[in-house]
Amino acid sequence: MTDTPVSSSAAITGGAAGRGLAARLEALWPYLALGLAAVALPLSGDTYWGIIATRACVYWVLVAGLNLVVGFAGQIAIGWVALLTLGAYTASVLTAGTATPALSPFLALIIAGVAGAIVGLIVGLPALRLRTFYFAITTLGFATIVTQIALAWQSVTGGGVGVPGPLFPGWFSSQWGFYYLCLGLAALCTWMTANLAASRFGRALVAIRDAEVAAEASGVAKPAVLMMVFLFSGAVAGVAGGLFASLQSYITPDAFTFDLSVLFFIAILIGGRGSIIGPLLGTIILTVLPEFAAPLVAWSTFLYAALLLLIVLLMPGGIADLIDYKNRRPLEQHRDIVPRPEMVAGILHQAGGNQSLTLDDVALSFDGVHAIDGLDLEIRPGEVHGLIGPNGSGKTTTLNVISGYNAPDRGAVRLGGEPLLPGASHLRASRRIARTFQTPRLIGAASVLENVMIGGTIDGRATFAESLLSFPRHLQDERMLRDAAMSALAVVGLDALAAVRADRLQHSELRFMEIARALMLRPNFLLLDEPAAGLSAEEIRRLGALIVAIARVGAGVLLVEHHAELIFDICDRVTVLNLGKVLAAGTPAQIRSHREVVSAYLGA
Amino acid sequence: MLITRRRLIAGSALGAAALKTGFVRRAAAETETIRIGFLPALTGPSSSTGIGINRGTIMAVDEINAAGGVNGRKIELITRDTQSDPTKAVNAATELTRREKVHVIFGPLNSGESLAATPLIARDGVPQLDPCWVDSLTDPKKYPLAFRNAPTNHQIGGAANHYVVEILKLPKVAVIGDTTGYGTASVNTYVPMLADIKADVVYHASVDAANPDLKPEMLRMQSAGAQVIMPWSVNAGFLARIINTRAQMNWDVPIVGQTTLGSGQTKALLDKPENWEKVYANNFRNCAYDASGKLPPRTVAFVEKLKAAKLEMSDTLLWWIALGYDAPRLIADTVKASGSSPDQIAGYWKTLKAWPGVYGDITWSADQRNGFPDDEIVMCRANSLDGGAFKLAPGYAA
Amino acid sequence: MLQSIIAYGLTMGAIYALIGITYNVMFTASRVFSFTAGVLGMLGGVLGSLFIRRLGMPVAFGFILTLCCGMAIGIVTEILTVRPVLKSLDQHLYVLSTLAFALLIQQFTAIEWSTEPQPFPRLLNIGPGVFDQQFWLPIAACLATVVGLELLYRRTLIGRAFLAIAEDNYAARALGLPEQALRMTSYALAGAIGTLAGFAGGEVLLAFFANAPMLNFYGFVPVALGGMGSNRGAVIGGMALGLFQQAANFLVGGIFASVAVFVVFILVLLARPEGLGGATAARRV
Repeated sequence: MTDTPVSSSAAITGGAAGRGLAARLEALWPYLALGLAAVALPLSGDTYWGIIATRACVYWVLVAGLNLVVGFAGQIAIGWVALLTLGAYTASVLTAGTATPALSPFLALIIAGVAGAIVGLIVGLPALRLRTFYFAITTLGFATIVTQIALAWQSVTGGGVGVPGPLFPGWFSSQWGFYYLCLGLAALCTWMTANLAASRFGRALVAIRDAEVAAEASGVAKPAVLMMVFLFSGAVAGVAGGLFASLQSYITPDAFTFDLSVLFFIAILIGGRGSIIGPLLGTIILTVLPEFAAPLVAWSTFLYAALLLLIVLLMPGGIADLIDYKNRRPLEQHRDIVPRPEMVAGILHQAGGNQSLTLDDVALSFDGVHAIDGLDLEIRPGEVHGLIGPNGSGKTTTLNVISGYNAPDRGAVRLGGEPLLPGASHLRASRRIARTFQTPRLIGAASVLENVMIGGTIDGRATFAESLLSFPRHLQDERMLRDAAMSALAVVGLDALAAVRADRLQHSELRFMEIARALMLRPNFLLLDEPAAGLSAEEIRRLGALIVAIARVGAGVLLVEHHAELIFDICDRVTVLNLGKVLAAGTPAQIRSHREVVSAYLGA
Repeated sequence: MLITRRRLIAGSALGAAALKTGFVRRAAAETETIRIGFLPALTGPSSSTGIGINRGTIMAVDEINAAGGVNGRKIELITRDTQSDPTKAVNAATELTRREKVHVIFGPLNSGESLAATPLIARDGVPQLDPCWVDSLTDPKKYPLAFRNAPTNHQIGGAANHYVVEILKLPKVAVIGDTTGYGTASVNTYVPMLADIKADVVYHASVDAANPDLKPEMLRMQSAGAQVIMPWSVNAGFLARIINTRAQMNWDVPIVGQTTLGSGQTKALLDKPENWEKVYANNFRNCAYDASGKLPPRTVAFVEKLKAAKLEMSDTLLWWIALGYDAPRLIADTVKASGSSPDQIAGYWKTLKAWPGVYGDITWSADQRNGFPDDEIVMCRANSLDGGAFKLAPGYAA
Repeated sequence: MLQSIIAYGLTMGAIYALIGITYNVMFTASRVFSFTAGVLGMLGGVLGSLFIRRLGMPVAFGFILTLCCGMAIGIVTEILTVRPVLKSLDQHLYVLSTLAFALLIQQFTAIEWSTEPQPFPRLLNIGPGVFDQQFWLPIAACLATVVGLELLYRRTLIGRAFLAIAEDNYAARALGLPEQALRMTSYALAGAIGTLAGFAGGEVLLAFFANAPMLNFYGFVPVALGGMGSNRGAVIGGMALGLFQQAANFLVGGIFASVAVFVVFILVLLARPEGLGGATAARRV
């Protein structure tokens, strides 16, 4: 995510006017250089390198799509060669006319893409239900199934003997003509995936990968996003398969080896996850490398595996990290976080309403342990409501029930009388209920700005396709989200760090970053889970002022905390929990002198 | 000189290093070296043929060069390992035709690779000597410069079928292949051929070679009343399992099929040496002991040469080495008689009659690009392996 | 026919179950699934053939040496591919590091040993027939391993220490248990079990480098079906898989048998992602 035009530092400071030509060139120069070299290749007259370059383009068409699945969404789809096989056979069979009347190669290519999309969706479906390793194994299973079917369905696929690949007509039947066809499609895929990377969908994918819980809280619907990605990736893989079959001029099942699948996968990881240019370079390197090292050709897969191991252990960010100079500049050592509570009204101007968020007799047990046992709670708009209690009293569980990560065994959470859907965490965002987490959930490899922009995902208007093709609505979305995120960062006092990688931030800064992300929702209700943990005394004071400002604009804030001074300083009401039950509820003054509370929790 | 795989890789490494740094070559002049592009699969799952053929090829090239070359021109063997992978075969073939500008290509040696590479080699107008058996690889119109110096699948199956139906007189046949290209193509081609000569194919199937248990399949054959089993696969493990299972079932029927039934690798995987009785494999007359137990003189001389060169034979087949040995010599004879341009080479080949190879006598014509004679394909006893050659199967007078 | 299905089915099932147990032992020690399980199985066959058949060592010695190599590889796996990535929050990294390591071993074997399946020596001379050693050796090995592990976990101190580390990492460390050493030992144990599987099943599978990806998949199915970390589930799952596979081979024949296995596997997983015997996921927020 660090090589997209959005995150260059010139773009950040100054909003829309800052995206000057210099900034765009800085991000685009690798692509331009590669593109120029690729277009000029035929001038060398070297047709051998022409074939290699064509192969690299074909592989990149597939890898560009797979990059979204593996690099961005983090799904370990090792057996993706299944889609290359499918696309190759579909295109070949349709042009050879063994099952249907012979079609034009271009039409066959499009149909291969459609078939790839459908099967990509099927292969990807298990990702929604299965853990990482399980999903990896099922993709391997799919790869084998597709090959077995190709072998068995002899009347159509020619079985073991195989089938001739499609031959494109006219100029495209010449070697350079075909090269330009593949180059053009490769360039198109680069553009589309780069667009997607710099869209709310791209950020949502990375959020699903690295901070799934926060993604849900921001309204990202994992199934929908993943399904669209699998459709797209499957489609381009199918097209790549058709091109592959044409390049090979004849395909047999033994051309689709596990080694090829590993090559695609490793190209993405060597390139670096969440990057476009990285995997592009990775694909080129891995396609070209065996041609330089002929005696080592037998050892090529061994070397790739060794390379992968080195990357994983030493350089998990891959090539993309290597060329990311911006994030090596040292940061100022003693940074102060200075929020600007006075700006809150500017971004939350439409917060509030008259509806309260209530819990009615909510109970939830885990394996027989009553985490919460008959809890009644009311969060009124414009109030800061504190929730305190000893460890294990059910505070975080309460938050989880409200924000929908756990469904209660009994009782309901209501917004203005209407019950909220239990266990549907990603729907809370649309009800303008935002939260932060006990341990900050961040995307380490993304910039602070990108992390915050995720908070506004549901306010984007552009569809997946519009983002792919960089339609005006997509550009508007990006402008809107960027501006809103900068404002939110200004409110919490982190605007100077907007372009910095989030994993370089101090712990306290991450807490404020989470608040900025939550503010992107323009929330009516803000749930804060121990936001003061790990903060210095001065930072806690500033945090308090910020929270009060948020409440005064009309939002209802639920503050779960251990820092008693903060609670009594800023809360309008306080509820005390003990062993899942309400021990006491009232104003801070009442609570402070409540005998049971003092003995159970506060101490003398 | 002991030819080992290490030396080969070292040699081709040096060769490759030297070649890769050079510029694209200009067109060949008549005094330049004769460049033979060679596309074996030396690594990967289908490398046993390649390794065997490679030994013979290198030996022939060294021999010719040591004797002064062809009209003073040395032969340069440019080898690219296809790794049993059709995609690498395509890359390598293009490199040989476009970059190295070879005069002729020998190979690829596996069907899947050949099917992909042949159209590209044809497009580049380079003469090709292809020893693969898949029938569709030669076509005078589509691939005018491609010639096959080995039998076709059709011929091989025909010889085996002829032996089973007309010599052994066993009409109920079970045909089994593995799931590779070669296996499925063979089964598909041979079953109708058997029907044509009035055999009764009671069972036919393609089975995954990695399946450890072939008992169910063999039981099915048995209950269908098969009198002979015809396996088609180059996978020694698969063939050995068929042979072993037949022994475990105590089922006394002959096994007649692919040459690899008689290879050292298959032998190594047998439970008991006795299991190898009544197994008859395709082979070639020049590599078979005749009724009086003697090899043809040409072959005897060749085997002597191999022994003198201490060539490793126990893990491969004689006819592979012979095939590899024949190819450079055929090319040398061609260049000597006719020249090294594509037209000159193809022109000579189109009129080639009974060229005396160790492996076989090759004859081509303008319409016939499959040069191996029918009558030189014979069935041999698999367990008669001795010095890389076999005894003819019983009943084989013709 | 039925005899053959049951004999081969239980044999293959035992081998798969043992690989599944290998996965489980590594998982319980580190919460990591490693791609090296299948590779260990493959090496059991290859090393056994190398030591006993090619180098001519006596059977017992070759067996012990093979197990020692397995343990060594298990330890290297832990040090090289698991320990460095455990600290990282990114759980995907271990999939990649173990995959890379497994590929390294697999490719090395293919190039240095052979790309063709090589014969495995006959260990005892019992058989042929239904009671052939190639059938009951794997089954015996599987039973011995399961019983051995039960005794280890329930009766010995070190076994209970393993369980403690798996159950509650922090508490165990707070009690002073040497987590790192225990994890290494677990991986060594897993290495021994994996190579045992390959060695016992050597006659059936042959010494073949391509056994590794096959065992990776088929060895994982019992884990997926039986629940992560459950050895009993792995045995039941393995046996069921072996019998189903052989029955499918007989009924449907070669190509479609493997398709049938995959389809059933994927469907079962989708219906119950935690396996038929597993527990549901813990709290993640």
